[in-house]
Amino acid sequence: MIEYSDKKGVCFFAYNNSQIDYVKIAILAAKYVKKNLNLPVCLITNEGSESWLEESQPKKVINESFDYIVITNDEMKQNNRRHFDSPWTNFSAQFNNSNKHKIYEYSPFEQTLLLDIDYIVKTDTLLKYFNGQHPVCMFDNAMSVRNELPNERERFLYDAGIKMWWSTVVYFDRSDYSELFFNTWAHVADNYEFYQYLYNFPSKLFRTDYCVSIAVHILAGMQDNQTHLGNFDNTALVNVSQKDDIIETHGLNDWTILAHDQTEEWKNILVRLDKQDIHVMNKRALDRVTANLMEAFND
Amino acid sequence: MDERLEQALEFSNYALTINNQKRNIRNRVAQLQIVHYVGGVFLADHTTISFVKTLIDMKHTKFIIIDNKNNPITVKNIKELLEKLIEAYISATTEFDIENEKLKKARNIKKIMDW
Repeated sequence: MIEYSDKKGVCFFAYNNSQIDYVKIAILAAKYVKKNLNLPVCLITNEGSESWLEESQPKKVINESFDYIVITNDEMKQNNRRHFDSPWTNFSAQFNNSNKHKIYEYSPFEQTLLLDIDYIVKTDTLLKYFNGQHPVCMFDNAMSVRNELPNERERFLYDAGIKMWWSTVVYFDRSDYSELFFNTWAHVADNYEFYQYLYNFPSKLFRTDYCVSIAVHILAGMQDNQTHLGNFDNTALVNVSQKDDIIETHGLNDWTILAHDQTEEWKNILVRLDKQDIHVMNKRALDRVTANLMEAFND
Repeated sequence: MDERLEQALEFSNYALTINNQKRNIRNRVAQLQIVHYVGGVFLADHTTISFVKTLIDMKHTKFIIIDNKNNPITVKNIKELLEKLIEAYISATTEFDIENEKLKKARNIKKIMDW
């Protein structure tokens, strides 16, 4: 029987590219996890990003943020992703995510919460799922900070397609079902082009959300209804979209967001978010407020 | 711009913003009302609390309750479940009340944002 280093913990993948300092954002995300979930944190990264982490961040901050650092050398798929920073600015960068299913192998924990580095944990809500009855949990619905549904392609893989599950937050244990789920995810990732043809989802970007959605569909007997997987009690993943911006932060939790209208992008409204876990998809916006938030942690 | 229209649009923007804030609070409250207990998921609302209290009043100690996911859950310590439901309900409604009071006083967007 495998012995794990810790019973419960949180993992982040962070591979830097030419545009985004993922490890820097991972430190911020880890700080929020430590404060609100009080769990050990593991960073999964590569040699290059780890060197940059050591060069750019004080040793004390790294040690405070991460209890474990796992270095991987997986070959990544070519995956050029277009990012937005407000509706008016965009840039492209390689997105290294093709080994995400290997978390089952990399995690040092018996029960793991895998979070994307842009998922900011401002409450202790996720803790209850460590004691829940589901071996794997993910969100199967999302909404914007304006309380609107995401666009059609982020709800279904195509117009008459299967429901999309989000791989932003994945809870799993070490049960047989979990192992089966990650093996199925790996199979879909390895045969992505075939499943793209079969499930008719958009091409170009390799999305782990599509991989997990197909894995869920296969394991549910090719039906929409399934019982093994939890969906965080049907709550929604709250997305601060790539076209939204963080205007200011008061302390750690109270953030003011400029939220754009999906159909008429010039129509912004202000949204104040407090005590709400959020998925901040605009990473440059997150990067801009990181220094302030890190200071707030020291206050 | 016609001043009347300018004022109407300003109010329209305020209404949109405050309604969105209210929805955010309700979402948060709904999350706080979810109680996980012995593998079941229960909503700490009036109906569940009253039902569990009725079972206690009728001297039941062990009971099978259908949870929010339509699964039968054997509850051996029904008083403990009631305590957890009440705790979640109070925590949710207290936060609801605090946030709601703040919003009631905010008569324009600057006040909502604390600017």
